[in-house]
Amino acid sequence: MRTDAVPVHPLPLTSEQAEAMLQRHVKRHHIAIILLHWFNAIVWGFELLTGLALISSPLFRVAPHWYIGIVEGLFGSRANMLQFHVALGLSWIGVYLVYGVSGFRTYLSREVLQNEIALDRDDVRWLIVRTQRILGWTNEPLPPQGIYNAGQKLFAFLVYAMIPVVMVTGVVMAFRLFSTPVVGWAVVLHFGAAGIVVSGLMIHVYMGAVFPEEKPAFFSMITGTVNELYAYNHHFKWWTIVKAEERVWDQQHDDEAGHPRETAGPTDTARPE
Amino acid sequence: MARYAMVTDLKKCVACQACTVACNAEWDVPAGYARTRVRSTPVTGTFPDLASSVYVAQCNQCDRPSCVEACPSGATAQSGNGIVGVDKSLCIGCGFCLDACPYDARYINPLTKKVDKCDFCLARLERGAEPACVTTCTAHAKYFGDLEDRQSDIFRMVYAMGARRMETNAIRIGPNVYYAGERARADLVLAAFPPRPPRLLAAGEAWSRVLKPLVMAAVGATFVGQAVAFFNQLRNGEKDFED
Repeated sequence: MRTDAVPVHPLPLTSEQAEAMLQRHVKRHHIAIILLHWFNAIVWGFELLTGLALISSPLFRVAPHWYIGIVEGLFGSRANMLQFHVALGLSWIGVYLVYGVSGFRTYLSREVLQNEIALDRDDVRWLIVRTQRILGWTNEPLPPQGIYNAGQKLFAFLVYAMIPVVMVTGVVMAFRLFSTPVVGWAVVLHFGAAGIVVSGLMIHVYMGAVFPEEKPAFFSMITGTVNELYAYNHHFKWWTIVKAEERVWDQQHDDEAGHPRETAGPTDTARPE
Repeated sequence: MARYAMVTDLKKCVACQACTVACNAEWDVPAGYARTRVRSTPVTGTFPDLASSVYVAQCNQCDRPSCVEACPSGATAQSGNGIVGVDKSLCIGCGFCLDACPYDARYINPLTKKVDKCDFCLARLERGAEPACVTTCTAHAKYFGDLEDRQSDIFRMVYAMGARRMETNAIRIGPNVYYAGERARADLVLAAFPPRPPRLLAAGEAWSRVLKPLVMAAVGATFVGQAVAFFNQLRNGEKDFED
């Protein structure tokens, strides 16, 4: 890989370059991940809908009575609601088990941990600048990011920490495992872990569905691709990796075809003036 | 709507445990557990002036039941006739209600891992029968009926003959099992088996006092942050979209 050939920061683009990059697409998500994402979103939607309505005691309740009444009406009875909540939750765990068993070598490699999950110096800086930009305090450009930005990584950490808690406590409650005090604590931890996920989920949904700069990321969860311009501007470090892989692929195919292929985007050879 | 109550005549009760057996058989109560049990107070006084009393304990179907509030899922609920029932299909076996009951009337069934307690034999009442303990009582010491029926034995025993609730000044949640017999007997029972203050398990305390406010604060703070961001977005327009 000619890593020395790519710039460290995104360079200003000419409008022709920008237009050309807008037309090119880069693969971002595997179809399996897209399906898992929307399955997960639907499950969380229903589990939160029913979970909120399942807590009826004034000591612990967070949803208003009218909301509980509406959801009870939708399901016919509280017992149906609970059965639905448990059955859907167990199916969710089952699907994750299948994905976990079949995909852990892909998603837990050292490379993935370093490039996609661990926070680096740019990420820490990004978190500060991003917050200031949202609040309108600064126009400083954001530090370059890998395939996931620091905010997405933080949300991932939250989810990695809380999802196992939600799953284990859910199973403990569903089958009333171990002793009564354990089940009692499971109820409490289930609520707490889900509640913490929800506060992160709100940002996740806002960023995906409402925040204008991240709209290509939202559509990438449907099409699996983003335009190259978005990758260049928002996930620059990932873009350099994608480009390097493309060049390697191109070079191999140059040899077979016997003539060079055109490389796209601003590199050391195609740097704008 | 009826208001069901039970009276146990401590003077008539001979502590034969027939009610316990009938109840266990009726409700498949596992060995070692009970919905109702007959206890005896320790003997007090000096010979020949000795005193003791039996005490038939069960769920009191209280007017202001402390177990209902403790139940997170709504499995424990009070119906219009005053009976505090447990909906087994909603019980998640957390055990919060056990600590909330001042009379320790509840137990966790080790087979189903769900809570169980006396419900005045609601299933029998619905088919017109009396509770199993009342039917089987060998000394006819147990009475069951509707306190709103002025012709009933129950009404007469509670409002005319002064059958007592097992209440103390500290714990007064309106139990609907009354005890007839001399005052001294009920005093012995209250001295030996007084209702205790309702407790909330540490898990319940942590939930209602720490996690619930914490989660609501986290969600609220996120919401406010997003509202600020959203209004900034509206103010600045979506010029970055074509980026």
